[in-house]
Amino acid sequence: MPKITLDGKILEVDKGTTVLEAAQAAGVYIPRYCYHPKLSVSGNCRMCLVEVEKSPKLLTACSTECADGMVVNTASDKVKAARRDVLEFLLINHPLDCPICDQAGECGLQDYYMEYSRARSRFPAEDKVLRQKRRALGPHLMLDNERCILCTRCVRFCSEVTKTAELEVMERADHSFIDLKAGKTLDNDYSLNIADLCPVGAWTSRDFRFKQRVWFLKKAPTVCLGCATGCLTEAHHNEGEVYRLMPRPNAETNTWLCDRGRMAYKSLRAGDRLVKGFIKNGLIDLEPALREAATRIDEAKGAAAVLGSPWLSVEDNAALALLAAAMKTENVCFDFKFETGIKDGILINKDPSPNAAGAALLKAARGGLGLDEFRARLNSGAIKLVIAEARAAALLKDELKASGARLIAFATNRGDIPAGAYATLPYASYFEVPGTFINYQGRRRAVEPVVAAPAGVKPLWEVLNKLAAYSGASLRLDSAADAMKGME
Amino acid sequence: MAFVTEEFRVKAEKICAKYPKRDAALIPLLQELQKESGYVAEEAMDELARFLDLPYSRVKAVVTFYTMFNREPAGKYHLQVCRNISCHMAGAPGLLARLRSKLGITEGETTRDGLFTLSAVECLGACGAAPVMQVNDEYFEKLDESKLDALLEDLKHGKYPLKG
Repeated sequence: MPKITLDGKILEVDKGTTVLEAAQAAGVYIPRYCYHPKLSVSGNCRMCLVEVEKSPKLLTACSTECADGMVVNTASDKVKAARRDVLEFLLINHPLDCPICDQAGECGLQDYYMEYSRARSRFPAEDKVLRQKRRALGPHLMLDNERCILCTRCVRFCSEVTKTAELEVMERADHSFIDLKAGKTLDNDYSLNIADLCPVGAWTSRDFRFKQRVWFLKKAPTVCLGCATGCLTEAHHNEGEVYRLMPRPNAETNTWLCDRGRMAYKSLRAGDRLVKGFIKNGLIDLEPALREAATRIDEAKGAAAVLGSPWLSVEDNAALALLAAAMKTENVCFDFKFETGIKDGILINKDPSPNAAGAALLKAARGGLGLDEFRARLNSGAIKLVIAEARAAALLKDELKASGARLIAFATNRGDIPAGAYATLPYASYFEVPGTFINYQGRRRAVEPVVAAPAGVKPLWEVLNKLAAYSGASLRLDSAADAMKGME
Repeated sequence: MAFVTEEFRVKAEKICAKYPKRDAALIPLLQELQKESGYVAEEAMDELARFLDLPYSRVKAVVTFYTMFNREPAGKYHLQVCRNISCHMAGAPGLLARLRSKLGITEGETTRDGLFTLSAVECLGACGAAPVMQVNDEYFEKLDESKLDALLEDLKHGKYPLKG
């Protein structure tokens, strides 16, 4: 294993480690634009130049492999001067639009300028090469060629990760710019990662642009519930509003995040967000809706059924199991089997639900019917009323329609409710309440609340608690975790 | 108009066979396309990308990187005047100005009769014989105004044998 001396420290690294990686592991930060740990090394930005003894010129740390006996200096005057000069070159044609640039606050140029340069530009503003600004390329991205420093991270992302290869550097030298085929749009399932990757304000998210200055945002770790992959994410929020979702890169599941997953937060403030109950097609306050639902449940007695949901947390499924027990019905099902596996070779799972494995825990602990048996009982008319989360109910929508069984659904958004639901009760989204989810790899992920639920909207366990109370039973739940008693 | 014809494919396969990877044949094939139609059309880039199984953007990037590829049909004679330092000092600006006024076009344009296209290009690598102009594939060296005028006349009357 090669031993190198980096800023006086002796490091022993694996063969093939680059100077930049070795420095990073030793806690020495080397500035970079084009280098990205998950993309191929390009070495074009020159920001990571370091001084290596016996080498006549400075070397790029990102592309220089550690060799035994190498003596590297990342803080010499020569390196400092090089960083300043590289920045001067990179900023030569950069427009002076920081005040109206959405990248401001998380911009590599701003940060490095303050850290390594602070030099006055020797290049008059009127001599700058002007380029096309604000080009909407695809449904999610805006490109500003003038701000681009041609690091080609976006080009490499499209050719190496999504393998769609839409982008390239066109023309040469001073004329070069990032472009794609005329008339084509940048519309792959992962396009928004490009806005994250871009170290400057060239690529920005059309969804997030101008919604919030980044320095106002607070970051809360959360988990994507868009499919069984269960990517770790980070919600950026301020004053009770989520503004964007970003990936939390980790070795187990994800470096990136798909575009659909990023848009998941939109349901929180969507026009169809439910804050009240629904009876047939009429809006109604939660309490009367609960009373009405409870009456129907009592009517149906033994013919009532409870369906768990792979879209609900383990705790809320457990609360559903308790409700079924309180109702003394045997018609309960936590059996959801989806084919799992990464569909596109990147992140998107064949299983569209985030918690089929979590529901299976309930099946193991509390038993219940298989989904086919549940279906058969619904078809035979043995089940006259189904209590279910909306998306799980949608799995049985044909059977529900054919049998005419009443559906009492729980939903966060009106769009999820299957047609013909008798009553719908609102519950708080998992951006608003905690819950545990188990992804397709069997990894247990705790979701913590990011923002508060709209006034009057309760977590599902609380809705179930009340529903039980209205039909004369008690689930004795004071928190989501209470439902788990006796399970672990 | 199809650029990658059956005939072209046969030729292209032979060129591809010279390289360890098919992608490596990109530039020679682009040159071949340009030789056949005088320029590399958008559709030609598309067809070539499919033929080589490369993304279109890659082909376009290569075509735009090299100024030697014409992206629009060029005239019968493509006059390429070197504008780099040796030629510049030896009088290239004067030659360019003369061509502009004699032909009535500026750099990047083609005369209406389709005979001449004028370009200013980067170093042609013949500094020893500056100023230099390349016409199609041939170099004309140590030019001055009278030599240039004579050459233009010859070209106009189809007297000068040119390769390619």
